[in-house]
Amino acid sequence: MSRIQAHGLRVDPPRGWDGEIYRRTPEAPPPSLAGRSVAAETTTPILHLANFALPAVRGDYGGGAVERMGRGGIFISLLEHPPAEGASALFSVEGVPWPLAADDFSPDTMQRTIAGQAGHQSFFTHQGRAFCLYVVLGSYRSRALLVREVNAALAAVAFE
Amino acid sequence: MVLALVVLLGFVVALLAVLVVGLLRSHAEILRRLHELGAGVYDDEEESGPGATSRVELAERPEIRTRPGVPEPRVVETGAHDLTGVTPQGAAKAIGVVGTDHSTLLAFLSSGCGTCADFWRAFAAGEADALPGRDTRLVIVTKSPDAESPSEVAALAPPQHPTLMSSEAFDDYAVPVSPYFVLVDGPTGRIVGEGAAASWSQVANLLRQAAADAGLTTEGTPRRAGGRLDGPAREARADAELLAAGITPGHPSLYPDTVETVEHVPGDEEDR
Repeated sequence: MSRIQAHGLRVDPPRGWDGEIYRRTPEAPPPSLAGRSVAAETTTPILHLANFALPAVRGDYGGGAVERMGRGGIFISLLEHPPAEGASALFSVEGVPWPLAADDFSPDTMQRTIAGQAGHQSFFTHQGRAFCLYVVLGSYRSRALLVREVNAALAAVAFE
Repeated sequence: MVLALVVLLGFVVALLAVLVVGLLRSHAEILRRLHELGAGVYDDEEESGPGATSRVELAERPEIRTRPGVPEPRVVETGAHDLTGVTPQGAAKAIGVVGTDHSTLLAFLSSGCGTCADFWRAFAAGEADALPGRDTRLVIVTKSPDAESPSEVAALAPPQHPTLMSSEAFDDYAVPVSPYFVLVDGPTGRIVGEGAAASWSQVANLLRQAAADAGLTTEGTPRRAGGRLDGPAREARADAELLAAGITPGHPSLYPDTVETVEHVPGDEEDR
């Protein structure tokens, strides 16, 4: 079992899966805003899991990764949001949304539509922390099969 | 006349006697040499009864050495393992190696060793972007931050390949020295090739050979499936188009004072 943990998240990725817990480095304000009062960027923890080789450079929502997925591919992104957003209606659901059902996935729920793929997105609050869960399946038709792997991987996620 | 015959007969007998003695000595020499070589012609009798016995002690096998400057192969054989560690930027990372549908080339490097420099250079130059074999993925592994400088590794690490800092991986694979390479066949989880080399061209040749032995393609193929631009490529294209339009970093149009927004609730089904 290959366990990784950081930033209050822990996961034991299934065998052969890639995983990463990271926090982006805040970007400096552009030169044009020099001298102006600009609030510092707040970055929050992000967890990625995939049953394929995650590219070293990719977007938080899997840009650059999901394009590489085969039909059996699975990409999971768990993104924490700033605590201030946790009070909004968007994060009113309390508790983790998994296990997911096959019908929780739709070809329309994608950051960028890719033929044949399907996505799921949900927002929730857990232990006072606000999260977005975004999952992409390589094949909408095989969603009933793939969702079992998704749930097995999500079951190994823990909050510390 | 009779005397001459007697003398001749005596000479022949003496000659034959010399020949027989010579043959016996030769036979004894052959038996002695066979014993020295370990051919136990009397092994069956050795424990059961009397007879000529001899125990041959084989000399200790000379230690196998590699050429000067080339690291020796690892002493302990291990199985393949998935990897965990941290990236040079400090992220916790797991890399699947066993049970995948691709092969993985693990490059165990150090930021400080002179021989490793050629590999860092080759990887940064894109010479390992297309590897032979089963969609082979290059993963660079260094020791953990307590033994390597993350900033130095970050400066050397090519962005297009994952770099993992993990002393645990060095232990799991019993890596004897850097640089060292291990090729794992993902579907079977077997280590199909390993060794040290002084240059990337040597490793590339060994990879092609291993791929050919396994009946896989020996031509390097880029890992990306193709057909669509990936994230970095899309970003580069967008940057190029913005620059062509005269919009440079910090351009005022990128930071308007007011922005018209439309309320969007991603969780709302009707909004999708």
